[in-house]
Amino acid sequence: MSDAAGRKKLLEVKNLKTYFDVEEQTAKAVDGVSFHIYANEVFGIVGESGSGKSVTSLSVMRLIPNPPGRIEDGEILFEGKDLLKLPYAEMRKIRGNEISMIFQEPMTALNPVFTIGFQLREAIRQHTPGMSKAQANVRAAEMLSLVGIPDAERRLKNYPHEFSGGMRQRAMIAMALALEPKLLIADEPTTALDVTIQAQILELMMSVREKTGDASILLITHDLAVVAETCERVAVMYGGKIQEIASVEDLFREPLHPYTQGLLLSLPRPDREKRRRLDTIPGIVPSILDMPSGCKFATRCPLEELQCEEKEPELREVLPGRFCRCHLVDGVARATVGSGAWGNGR
Amino acid sequence: MHGMTSYFIRRLLLVPVTFICITLLVYTVIRLAPGGPIEQAKQQMRAAAASEGGAGGSSAMGDTGTLELPQEAIDQLKAYYKLDKPIVVGYLIWLGAWPDEAKGGKFSGIIQLDFGKSYRYSDSVLTTIASKFPISIYFGLIGYFATWLVCVPLGIQKALRHRSMFDTGTSLVVFIGYSIPDFVAALLLMLLFATPMLGPQFELFPLGGFRSENWDDMWAKGETWWCIRDQIHHTFIPVVAYIMGGFATMTILMKNSLLDNLGADYVRTAFAKGLGERRVVFIHALRNSMIPLCVGIGHAIGLIFAGSFLIEKTCNIQGMGLLGFNSLIGRDYPVIMGVLVFGVLIRLFGNIFSDMILAVVDPRVRFR
Repeated sequence: MSDAAGRKKLLEVKNLKTYFDVEEQTAKAVDGVSFHIYANEVFGIVGESGSGKSVTSLSVMRLIPNPPGRIEDGEILFEGKDLLKLPYAEMRKIRGNEISMIFQEPMTALNPVFTIGFQLREAIRQHTPGMSKAQANVRAAEMLSLVGIPDAERRLKNYPHEFSGGMRQRAMIAMALALEPKLLIADEPTTALDVTIQAQILELMMSVREKTGDASILLITHDLAVVAETCERVAVMYGGKIQEIASVEDLFREPLHPYTQGLLLSLPRPDREKRRRLDTIPGIVPSILDMPSGCKFATRCPLEELQCEEKEPELREVLPGRFCRCHLVDGVARATVGSGAWGNGR
Repeated sequence: MHGMTSYFIRRLLLVPVTFICITLLVYTVIRLAPGGPIEQAKQQMRAAAASEGGAGGSSAMGDTGTLELPQEAIDQLKAYYKLDKPIVVGYLIWLGAWPDEAKGGKFSGIIQLDFGKSYRYSDSVLTTIASKFPISIYFGLIGYFATWLVCVPLGIQKALRHRSMFDTGTSLVVFIGYSIPDFVAALLLMLLFATPMLGPQFELFPLGGFRSENWDDMWAKGETWWCIRDQIHHTFIPVVAYIMGGFATMTILMKNSLLDNLGADYVRTAFAKGLGERRVVFIHALRNSMIPLCVGIGHAIGLIFAGSFLIEKTCNIQGMGLLGFNSLIGRDYPVIMGVLVFGVLIRLFGNIFSDMILAVVDPRVRFR
């Protein structure tokens, strides 16, 4: 439950394997993922599309569509209880109540034929037995004004199509935080929004969370800037596996895994020399049905050695609190990838 | 909401315009089509003469060609059928917007609810239609509701058990039903269950007809239960035949629509809120999947009225389908036009009604 530093672990994912059956083959979308989130912590998972980050978050909620998906192995300990062993009825009491979720697409995540108020009240009353519709409406209006929607009382009567994308995501946040959950899973909450709205929504999510019981947040994103702004610790995923876990400061100051280094080099940074093309990581993510047997990143890694292809490295604690899955990285000697090593970018 | 109200008011104002366009077009076409009442009268004369000649045993065949109606009789007929007037004038008299000399210069047409008299039966058109209309409505409505009652639950079950044995099996049955023409289905059902072909215990239903002949007597005697049983007996086979065609379309539409919606993001949101499966499926997904089904209501209203000529013929039901067909064959213009008036009005109002329902089920639909 708590680690050496005495911080309480709210969520602990151990060796999670979520597979999808695709036409006789098995896609190992998430293959042995382990991490933990402390109480009141904001924990980020970054990765490209197809790295398994969304599947990880949906597995925690047990929302993997089955078939074709299934959680093959692992434990998801939430306050010490294994969610994967919980009876369905018990899991339902946790969903939306103790763990709630915000999705990527605010345009489609709300039901188009019911009012915002209906959908908010429904979430509230589901977990508050005996609450009247009127009481739920008061709470819904309260939450809606908390997320910065003016004239909340009247707005509750609106349908989702009468809200803009940003407002719908605000409504989603209101719905997710109305019951003061202990964990909020935000799966790419700003990806579908205008750049100008993105920062607003992030800031809002953080501030509303403080006002409603200080939930831990599991933030799924492909945007390193979002991670830098919000998270305490972050896991980098690639090929269905976690490649590196570090605090945000460490990760940005001193990325260990070649993949993380590549990601950071491909960010535009005002402090680096100008008028230069950005570095990119050459190649594409291998198909999920055709992953290399050794290191998943070997096919694109500039430092790749023979052992990388043959043997998959373990996720090891290379420095206190820093985990990395690379043969070439340990606490003492580290491989670094220079800007020119990627063979492009000039 | 004001935008919607004015939209529907505008739609209602368009009804008379559309009505006049359609009826004028049909009036023109049947005036121009060969085989009108004059030719029918001539033919009748010839037929009468031929049978007389045949009875006389003489060789009157040569005479039949020269046998003609006297000119003044033709003129009289033309005046009676308004064929001596231009098409537009004839139409306006029919509509009731032009004085009718034959009725002493009074306005007497559709507007005044005077539909004229049938050429073939000397009944008024309104009486003729009024005697058939309820029969078609009876079968149409029962058929339509039966379709909904069967297809919606079936479609839901098929979606929830997608690709199961149940799904495949019912698909097979539904498509067999879809491939059999409705009148063939009616014949087949009558053959199997209205004759002793499979044995007397399978002779469950009567061979057509709307009710038994002594129904009115039994009703007068107060044999209510007997009457209801008799009515259901007569209803079963035609209704099954009625719904068989629309059955497949509606079931598959329901299934696919629900399946689509079950995969939608908002369903995942609903599950993430901790809602139970029943609530997610029957409140969230179902409400959305009913939208495509509601689009078809306007069209279905038209069909309910029109009846099905082939089923009516095979099951010996005197409904609108048969009436429309027989009046076309007999060039019974007032009846054709009368049936048209009802058909057009019901379809026009049906479409508006259908749009209203759509606006109710789907809040995103806003007519302007």
